[in-house]
Order: sequence, then structure tokens, then C-alpha cells
Amino acid sequence: MLKIDNLQASVAENPIIKGFDLHINEGEVHAIMGPNGAGKSTLSYALTGREDYEITGGSASLDGADLLEMEIEERATAGLFLAFQYPVEIPGVSNMEFLKAAVDAQRSARGEDLYSSSDFLRMAKAACKQVNLPLNFLKRGVNEGFSGGEKKRNEIMQMILLEPKLCILDESDSGLDIDALKVVAEGINSQRDGKRSFLVITHYQRLLDYIKPDFVHVLAEGKIVKSGGPELALELEAEGYSWLESYDRTAADEEL
Amino acid sequence: MSQWLNQALEQADKIDDWLTPKRAQSLAKLKATPWPSRKTEAWKYTPVNKIERAKFPASTAAKNGAISIPDLDAIELFFVDGIFDQSSSSNSFPSGVSIIQLCDGEQTSWALDGFNHTKPEKHFFGLMNDVLATQGCIIDIEDGAKISQPIRISQSFSLGSQSHTRILVRLGEGSRATIIEHLHGNDLSFNTSFAEYQISDSAYLEHYRLAMQCEDAISMGGCHFKLGHASKLNSNLIGFGSQLSRVDVDIIHTGEHSDAKFNVIYLLDGKEIFDLHSAIEHTVPNGTSEQNVRCIVADHANAIFNGRIHIHRNAQKILAQMNNRNLLMSDNAQVNTKPELEIYADDVRCAHGATMAEIDEKSMYYLQSRGIKRSDAQVMLSFGFINELIDLMDNQAIAHWLKPILKQRFANMEIRK
Repeated sequence: MLKIDNLQASVAENPIIKGFDLHINEGEVHAIMGPNGAGKSTLSYALTGREDYEITGGSASLDGADLLEMEIEERATAGLFLAFQYPVEIPGVSNMEFLKAAVDAQRSARGEDLYSSSDFLRMAKAACKQVNLPLNFLKRGVNEGFSGGEKKRNEIMQMILLEPKLCILDESDSGLDIDALKVVAEGINSQRDGKRSFLVITHYQRLLDYIKPDFVHVLAEGKIVKSGGPELALELEAEGYSWLESYDRTAADEEL
Repeated sequence: MSQWLNQALEQADKIDDWLTPKRAQSLAKLKATPWPSRKTEAWKYTPVNKIERAKFPASTAAKNGAISIPDLDAIELFFVDGIFDQSSSSNSFPSGVSIIQLCDGEQTSWALDGFNHTKPEKHFFGLMNDVLATQGCIIDIEDGAKISQPIRISQSFSLGSQSHTRILVRLGEGSRATIIEHLHGNDLSFNTSFAEYQISDSAYLEHYRLAMQCEDAISMGGCHFKLGHASKLNSNLIGFGSQLSRVDVDIIHTGEHSDAKFNVIYLLDGKEIFDLHSAIEHTVPNGTSEQNVRCIVADHANAIFNGRIHIHRNAQKILAQMNNRNLLMSDNAQVNTKPELEIYADDVRCAHGATMAEIDEKSMYYLQSRGIKRSDAQVMLSFGFINELIDLMDNQAIAHWLKPILKQRFANMEIRK
């Protein structure tokens, strides 16, 4: 489904992603872990097409369609969804108006019928309940005055309504207490239908207790330095990343 | 002095009514005041010479009707080209409300004193309105009367009309009312429309001025408020520009613990001009005032905001805020904003800020990442910027009616970068 080969990306002419390879098949859950500054968020921004994140090489495609050639909104319509680490607050634009506009935009771009307002309201209310947000959050400005946890839950609500093919979750666990973490994890798990794929970016093993990944990758210095099964996450939790960096250096020495 | 002004003054000389003593004073001042020009500070960005240059055609028979606001259920007062239209107006009022025409002002005890009681003399066109306004109305809300039905004064202006209206309002002690001044008409016309409000102790006025004259209209006006002890004002101004639109707003706190909120939305397109001069005066201690002015300016339009806060020497413990945010949609759009703070008391909190911004790229990216097209996201974000102020309006019927109108007006604006 998602094929990323030798991806290279720069921010302000500083190379951050330096030859990143990853293939995700239908229904798979991949976790990317790594220390601060490894390029985890840059990867998610580069894939979704954020301005100032320049692709300098490599390729990325979703179901065969070249992502890197698409506008930001076209990538979303193609089925790519990013749950932001820091969702922005947009006062004056109600959450409901935003959700309807987003779902309408994607459905009409795909040539699908639009939901009626009443049908959509019903769906939105259900999604809102599912992530344990009070219904008045639909009327409030997008993320306006939401707590950190509420913003994360709002991201999951959007994911539920937009029904993407591939979800990138950028530190969806950061800043969450245990209860909120469970709500977010349950929201994500409810969307695992064997077809939808996930790329879970996280610092900690904790989230992966709830969302069982099929594969775990370690990102350091802009590329994947190690891949494995769920056990790799436990290993990292026990040993931290300093081991990894030393491993990295040893590997580099051996190559010489 | 211009030919046009000479004609106006000649006309003024012929008016003789109950307001003559007041008119005579203003006429003397008007004759001693030079015609404003770009060199006059208060008119620096406002091309008043458009009035002299305008070739007003003879007024036509075709008149605009009133614009209805669904669900408003208001007491309606309708003026066509400055003349009261009895047939389109309400003729019965709830108890506690008295409304009479300006020409019958002698019947109201406070009317003569109320004329120019709130409006300062500084406004050139205010003086002109003093001497020429023979139409308008006088609204009195009894002490303690809580009037839930809004009162709307609609004024439509049609091609070639030149008119001057004056509104005098007194809210009695502890009373409450909602008053809407709604001005519309896009053809070449000239009007001065001034309103004076006395808000007595513990009274609450919810006020709207919907300055929605566009295109060729020329409109000069003002809203002037005097606040008594523990009184409240919640005023909203919607400014659509025209070839020349100017509103002066004065809010004078004369009683302690009074509170004024003033929210302003400008939405300008084409070559429209909208000029707002606001002056908030705290003459006594323990008052609060908050002004939010948001402008979206497209094409070659020009928004002018001169916001003055004046805190007198003994007016301690004042909280005064003024915030002006502007969104420029084109390289040729212009905003001239000038905060003026004059503070003589030493124990006050006074904050002001003015920002000039383009669309926030982070918010734009967020919306696009959900599949929303950049052009649609731009509309949502810009509209969100003013929508915040609409959401603060007390009157839901006005808010519901305004939203799609503002949205449509905004959607028609072209982004030229």
C-alpha cells in the first residue's frame, strides 16, 4: 500500500531524512521509534506535503499513486491521514463545519455522493462519543481551548470520519494520561479492519501495549537503522537509544 | 468653500423648528470650520473631496425597500432616503417604549438637552447633521423597562438622494433594550446619519450598526454613547465599504463601574473605503472597555481605523483594551491603523495592539491535510477570523442572518497576490 524508497527530505536546506525505506502492506501496523531529532515528525510532514519540507530524492507512493507529485489535499483524498502531534487551534471555524468540509471535499474529489447534513451530524455525534468528547466539542472552534488530550482525541475523531487508507499517528500518545491513552488507543484499534494500515510514530513502548504493531523500526539520523517485531520496542524500552547510537557507530566502523 | 457646502448652508438657514437654538450654535461652528482635507489629521486617509466631485443625479422614483432579517421580530422603523415611511413601520410598541419622530421632539422633555449631549463637536459632518437633520426619531425606554423585542431603524438610500437623519435615544435607569441601525443602498447617494445614546445608571444597551452601504454610496455618520453608573454597552459595527464611508464612535464613561464592549468587522472589496474613528473616554474610575476591530481588505480597498482611548486624571482602576487585527487579501489593499492612547491616571491597565497578517500557514496546512482545497481553506480561515466576533453577538437572529451574507461577500473577494 505505502511504498517509500530512498526518501530524502530537507528543512531549510538541512538534510533530515537521508535515505528512508519502508513498505507497508494492507492492514499492517508499523511503529517507528527513535530518539529526539531522528526525523520522525519531518517524515510525517514530508509525506503529507507540508510547505518548507523539501523532498530532495527518492519516492513515495500510496496504492501506486505518486504521493510526492500531489497537492496536500490530494494526498488526503488519496487516503493519507496524519494525526498531528500538535494540532493547531482555529478559532472561529467550528469543529462541525470543519469536519463536514473535510469529508465533503474528499468524497466529492473521489466522485462519491455527499452525506446529507442530518446523516453527517449523526455520524459526527457517534464519532465524538466514541472518543469520549462531549458533544458540544462539535460546536466549538477547531481545537480552540482544548486540552492536549482533547486535541489528540479530536484527531482520532477526524480519522474515524475520514476513513483513510493509511494513518500516520505522530506521537498521538504524547501528553496523555493513562485514561486518555486508552481512549485514543481504542479509537485507533476500532479503525483496524484488516485493510487500513497504520504508521505509529512514538517515543515510548507504552502506546504499543495498546496498539499491537506488526513491525517496529528504529529511526535514527534520518533513516531506519533497525527493524524487527514487537519485541524490538521492548528492547528499546529496556535499553534506551544510547545503545543504538553506539551500535550505529560500531556498524559504521565495520563498514570502513 | 465648496459650492456643494454653500448650498447645504443655504438650506440650513431656512430650517426653523424646535431645534433652532441648537442648530444655530452648530451653524456658527460649521461656518467657522474649514472644509476637511487630507491635511486635516482626522481626515488624512479619507478623500472627502469625493463629495464635492460627485455628480448627484436627480433623485429617481425607484426606491429601495427594507431588507428583512428573518426571525428578528423587531419593532421596525423604516426611512427611505431620510424620510420616515409610516406604512412600512410598526405602529404599536410594547409598554415602556416610546418612539416619536424627530419633528415632534417638543413632546419629549429631554430631547432638546439630549441633542448634542453625547456627540462631540469635532466631527465636521456631525455639525452638518446638526443643522440639516429634520428627520429621524426619538426613542425613550422607561426606567426599569426590559424590552426584549429589538428596535430596528432601517434606512435605505437610493440613487441621487441626499439626506440627513438624527436618532436620539435614552435608556432609563435599569432598563434594557436592543437597537439596530441598519443602513443600506449601493447607488450614488449622500447621507449623514448620527445617533446619540444616553444609557442611564444600571441600564444595558445592545447595539448594532450595520453599515452596509456599498459601491457608489457616500455615508458619513456616528454613534455616540454616554454611560451612567454600572451601565453596560455591547455594540457591534459591521462595516462594508463604499466609495466613501465614515463612522465616528464615541463611548464616554460618566459613571463608575460601567462596561463597554465594541466589536467591529470590516469587509472591504474593490476600491471601497471604510473609515472608523473610535474614541473611548473614561472620565471616572472603575470602568472597563474592550474594543475588537477586525478587517479583511481585498483588491484596492482601504480600511482606516483610528482608535483613541482617553483616561482622565482621576479615572483610576480602569481596564481598557483595544485590539485591531487586519487581513490583507491583495498586494494593493491598504490598512491605515492608528492607536492613540492618552492616559493621565497612574493606576490603570490599558492594552492595545494592531497586527497585519496574512493567512496562517500552519492552519492552512492543517485544513489542507484533511482534504480541503487551498481556496476553500482560505475562505474558512479568513471567515473564521471574523466569525469569532459574530459568535459573540447576543442576538442570534442577526448572527444567523449575517453569517451567510458576510460569507458570500467574502467568497466574492478576489485574492490578488
